[in-house]
Amino acid sequence: MTCERPQELFSAYLEGTLDPAVRRDLEDHLGGCPECEALLAGLRKIDAAVAGWPEFEPSPALLTRLKAIPTARKKWGFVPDILLRPSLQPVFAGAALLLVFVSFIFLAPQGRSFQKAVNRQVHLGWNAAERIYAKAGSVTERLGGYKDNVVSSLRTLNILKKSETEK
Amino acid sequence: MNAYAKRVFNLAYQFSGSYQEAEDQTQEIFLKLYGALSKFDFQRSFTAWLLTLAKNHLIDAYRRTKWERKQRDDFDERTAAGPLAGDPQDALEREENRRLVWTSLNDLSPDMRMAVILRDLQGRSYEEIAAVLDLPLGTVKSRVNRARLALARVVEEKRGGQP
Repeated sequence: MTCERPQELFSAYLEGTLDPAVRRDLEDHLGGCPECEALLAGLRKIDAAVAGWPEFEPSPALLTRLKAIPTARKKWGFVPDILLRPSLQPVFAGAALLLVFVSFIFLAPQGRSFQKAVNRQVHLGWNAAERIYAKAGSVTERLGGYKDNVVSSLRTLNILKKSETEK
Repeated sequence: MNAYAKRVFNLAYQFSGSYQEAEDQTQEIFLKLYGALSKFDFQRSFTAWLLTLAKNHLIDAYRRTKWERKQRDDFDERTAAGPLAGDPQDALEREENRRLVWTSLNDLSPDMRMAVILRDLQGRSYEEIAAVLDLPLGTVKSRVNRARLALARVVEEKRGGQP
């Protein structure tokens, strides 16, 4: 007897629904197979652990939502069920917030001044960036001038050194 | 209504391992249920039909969103609820085994997980499970046995990996 066939019988063995002859064969196998014996012991532990597994009452909030479904379906009958899924609710909430924000900017009178302020800040920022860029350019030019001076000084120094050694 | 909600919610919680996910899935299952009521065959048991719908929804959602990457809720008093009477040492061992079973469920394939939940956690008869899974009785018995063996192996692996 290989282990595959006996293991197929484990549930029926534990539930006591095995034919007596098959049961004896299985017990013979178990006596000489530590692997199957250990697996069966594991199943017994699980069997004892899961007995009386607790069940929970759904929360009152969930029950209220479930009871509201028929009314919501009547009211929103034209909307496909997929759009009423709770998992899409955060997406709809995000989209609604975004729309409120966008309408605040583009439609409300205060929104226009806000828009102007934003444009002004962008404009000022652009000017500042241009000034920094121009300053950076002049620094580069100045550095170029210094570089030429340093190079010519070094050359002169070399010439002087050479003329001293020749003397 | 409350009794059906309780059955669907507990199935969703045991399958997904997340209380929040189970609430969302229960709501989605009831949305589907109201949409499919016109297709209900009155020759069939309503509970079995509802649980089949719930089972199909949960397994589809699992395959779509890959819950196996997510952690199950901690095995706390809510999960372990139910007094563990008898010898304190046995009670402790049983609670540890319950914790291992709870955390190991995510390592089973969705079909295996559903079979072991219906049979062992919910204590349904093979006939009821056959009606819910829409499978022949022999196939259900064999699947439950394979699921139990797989669960026992995962539990032993987790037990062996502990200090």
